[in-house]
Amino acid sequence: MVDLGLKTLLHDKVRFGITTLGVAFAVTLVLVQIGLFVGLLDNSTITIRKFDADLWVTSKNSPNLDFVHQFPESNVYRVRSIPGVERADNLILSFMQVALPTGAEETTIVYAMKDFEPWGVPWRVQGGNLDDLRRGNFVMFDASAEKRFGSFAVGDYREVNGKRLRVVGVTSEAKSFTTTPLSFMAYEKAQELAPDLLSGKASYILVKLAPGTDREQVRREVARRLPHNDVYTSAEWATRSRDYWIENTGLGFNAFLTVFLGCLVGVVVVAQTLYASTMEHIKEFGTVKAIGGSNLDIYRMLAKQASIAAGFGFVLGYLPAQLLKPVIAQADLKLIIEPEFTVAVAFGTLVLCLCSSLIAFRKVASIDPALVFRS
Amino acid sequence: MFSVVAEEVTKVFREGRDDVPVLKGASLSIAPGEIVSLEGPSGSGKTTFLSILGCLLSPTSGHISIAGETLEAKRPAQLQTIRKRHIGFVFQQFNLFPALSALENVEYALNLKGVPGKAAYEQALALIERVGLADRAKFLPRDLSGGQKQRVAIARALAAEPSVLLADEPTANLDINVAETILDLFVELAQRDQRALLIVTHDPKVRRVVDRTVRIEGGRIAA
Repeated sequence: MVDLGLKTLLHDKVRFGITTLGVAFAVTLVLVQIGLFVGLLDNSTITIRKFDADLWVTSKNSPNLDFVHQFPESNVYRVRSIPGVERADNLILSFMQVALPTGAEETTIVYAMKDFEPWGVPWRVQGGNLDDLRRGNFVMFDASAEKRFGSFAVGDYREVNGKRLRVVGVTSEAKSFTTTPLSFMAYEKAQELAPDLLSGKASYILVKLAPGTDREQVRREVARRLPHNDVYTSAEWATRSRDYWIENTGLGFNAFLTVFLGCLVGVVVVAQTLYASTMEHIKEFGTVKAIGGSNLDIYRMLAKQASIAAGFGFVLGYLPAQLLKPVIAQADLKLIIEPEFTVAVAFGTLVLCLCSSLIAFRKVASIDPALVFRS
Repeated sequence: MFSVVAEEVTKVFREGRDDVPVLKGASLSIAPGEIVSLEGPSGSGKTTFLSILGCLLSPTSGHISIAGETLEAKRPAQLQTIRKRHIGFVFQQFNLFPALSALENVEYALNLKGVPGKAAYEQALALIERVGLADRAKFLPRDLSGGQKQRVAIARALAAEPSVLLADEPTANLDINVAETILDLFVELAQRDQRALLIVTHDPKVRRVVDRTVRIEGGRIAA
């Protein structure tokens, strides 16, 4: 079968190139912007996902991981005594100040526990040993802190909340939504550095259940014993934290706006070029009708042209988005393009291009048939 | 039986709030194998009449029958069916698809008329040979002369063997010698396959090959 749509599209290579690039630009825009957004959200919950905890006991009505109130550390004993609880430990999460060699100060989010080892956090220690944290005035910084703190290495000293601590290890991948660098230190050391805020207090109780334990039953019991706290599963707490950033920072709206603008750019470019091409070839469409073609034949042709533009445009837009990943990583940002999102963008691109072709089709469907006789 | 029958055909166009009658009761019949030329001044309704006979437009009133099939004004879908089955067009500007080769232009028309893949290719090749362009089959229209383009257009019009050929100023863009050759080809195609052929023209050379000439003036067939 002769494919008039395809041949016409390829016959006018410049126009085809412009259409494809327009679609590609829109695809890259959507993939990169949403990928960055997902990357930020991933940062906001990465520690929740990495802690090997079944339940998180938080202060009442805490909105997200980073914004917590402290509560009595003795609450942990009431949790440990619940049947089915294999392990329950206090976790401190607190903002502290790091004095830089320049004289400036930066903020760090401190995670402090008596023993990090059973919980699997920090999960990637590049230099040093977690056990060292318990032996004195020691701290571990995440490598991502280098941008804020300047370069540091194991063995260097930094002043945290006025106390000189030795860097005994460097972690990686531990990040926060706000890009404030993460630090890890011993539980007592954190309380020592901020006695007014943290003495006798904890930010969270992490709960690990024994195998075969009914999680809901334990959760109900924790809630009964600690009525001034909330209890979440890891997944629930991650969702609550993530939703906070989406709903309260305008980032969700920003992501929506980006997708909308990306779609708009794609639709306008495809619709405009297809429409211009249709107007240029309007007599040919009239001829298709005159020699026996129907409106359906013409729509199929336009739809095929739009689908090809969508296909090429998607591939040309997807590749730069992937190639940008290492560049974006250098800026200490994460670009996460999930396979499901990729499929959704591909499908969306196709649907929007097909919708764009409807504008051109409306014009063709209403042409004066006698047009074919005009010179 | 006539291949084309048009009786008391009227066509009124709406322009703003005004009704503009273009055809005011035009009648014409063409027998199989008959060649008729339609002449008339600008604005006389030639193109509108041709569009209606070619099932590109529905008449406002009147009776139309093409190859025995009566056109019903209230069934626009029927226009396409009749056009597809029974009518071949040849245009003044050739109207070839610039992205398709000569052969593909014919093959595509066959595809539209329901002839699939290989069969369409073989029939298109035969039609291209029939109009004497076998050696130009793979050429794009831009690489063909005016006469060659018109031959391709004729081959395309013959796709699926229509019983009626409608030609709009087919010699207007051709030089004298080429025009004569094209007209001879028309005669051969009409007579050999008993096709009704209506040629709308201002070209006096056409009179040499037609069986009769009719004139349209003021929306009516004058003679």
